[in-house]
Amino acid sequence: MARDQDLHTLAGAYAMDAISAPDRARFERHLAGCPECAREIASLREATARLAAATAVPPPAGLKERVLAAAAATRQQPPAGPPAAVPLWRRRRRLMVTLTAAAAAVLLGAAVVAGISNGSMRDQLSQAQASSQQIAAVLTAGDATMMTGTVRGGGTVTIVMSHSRHALVFTAADLRPLPGSRGYELWLIGPAGDRPVTMLTPGRHDMTGPVVASGLRSGDHLALTAEPAGGTARPTTPMMLDVAL
Amino acid sequence: MDPAGDAPAKDSGASVPAPTDLAAQLRLVARGDAAAFDAVYDQVAASVFGIVRRVVRDPAQSEEVTQDVLLEVWRSASAFDAGRGSATAWVMMLAHRRAVDRVRSVQKESERERRTARADIPYDEVAEAVESSLERERVRRCLGSLTELQRESVTLAYYGGYTYGQVASLLGVPAGTVKTRMRDALIRLRDCLGVAN
Repeated sequence: MARDQDLHTLAGAYAMDAISAPDRARFERHLAGCPECAREIASLREATARLAAATAVPPPAGLKERVLAAAAATRQQPPAGPPAAVPLWRRRRRLMVTLTAAAAAVLLGAAVVAGISNGSMRDQLSQAQASSQQIAAVLTAGDATMMTGTVRGGGTVTIVMSHSRHALVFTAADLRPLPGSRGYELWLIGPAGDRPVTMLTPGRHDMTGPVVASGLRSGDHLALTAEPAGGTARPTTPMMLDVAL
Repeated sequence: MDPAGDAPAKDSGASVPAPTDLAAQLRLVARGDAAAFDAVYDQVAASVFGIVRRVVRDPAQSEEVTQDVLLEVWRSASAFDAGRGSATAWVMMLAHRRAVDRVRSVQKESERERRTARADIPYDEVAEAVESSLERERVRRCLGSLTELQRESVTLAYYGGYTYGQVASLLGVPAGTVKTRMRDALIRLRDCLGVAN
């Protein structure tokens, strides 16, 4: 009761996006079971929309043409549908291709641009199973961006994402082993809802992945939780990682 | 055999919505109607760009984020649910969230830079940037009807892109207090603006 009450005071902060992504996810779970709260949020969102409208200024010249052209070249999202998760270790060897020099250069370039000197990630990727065409497609995308994050409880992750490919490549190192009944589950969380990507399978040398998460959408976050080994449809434990994509 | 599912609904003249009926336009956009998207752009682009620029500030990045948001409107129009709020609120939610996400993902690099944003700046900007449109005037008046703490909490959070925890430390007030004030403030704004529930 007290907890619900406590959560409910987050309504204002939530309606203004003034909360961290884990808080956001927690509050959205609360909303799902509280129609009254959802109505309140809807009404507060009408107020914040007016705050936004009050800032209106003519957009830059040429933007409209670019947006319309981009839309014409962009496939639309169907009314519903979870993203496909593709755990690479289950894919056939025939997909194995050597990461081309060009892809490696792009990846290296992305790392430099991002100011990241994470040698292990590059090694891991180039060694790697980083071999599938899907991975290469993400790594060679013009907008490939590399990010790193720290997992609460131990471990680091490296992500290369491409919004134009609607996908990202995820790897982790030194994740703390979980009890046999539980495993790490990877999520995409955003305006389109919480979507499970896959359960992570521990790899060799304390390395996990690479895993490709497709169905990446604008505004998504990547999150990691510890869940029952079979996986769950929605996160049920606190986020151990939260990266804005 | 009925091809209507694929064809833009504007084939049947009677069902073409008024250009200002954003919800109806979005339903057409969800079916791939480029003309409807054109109309949606005209209706929302200035507000989207305005709020993105207010939060992100950097002009080049603001333009990029605005383009992302509008493309997201095109891509995910089918996710708009009129039962959960107005079309304008949905678009502005996408815009604000995307702007805030952009700001937070670059926050580490430029944390110091952004810290120079003072609490009263957004409110002053709202007050000054006026071409005294009725809407701006009304929002300005309603912001003015809040307590100082409420107004600062709202402007820092919504226009500044800060989390309530960050707002609390900027204002030197407990986080719990800021949370409560934000909710009170929005309820008051909602009532003052006469927003239909």
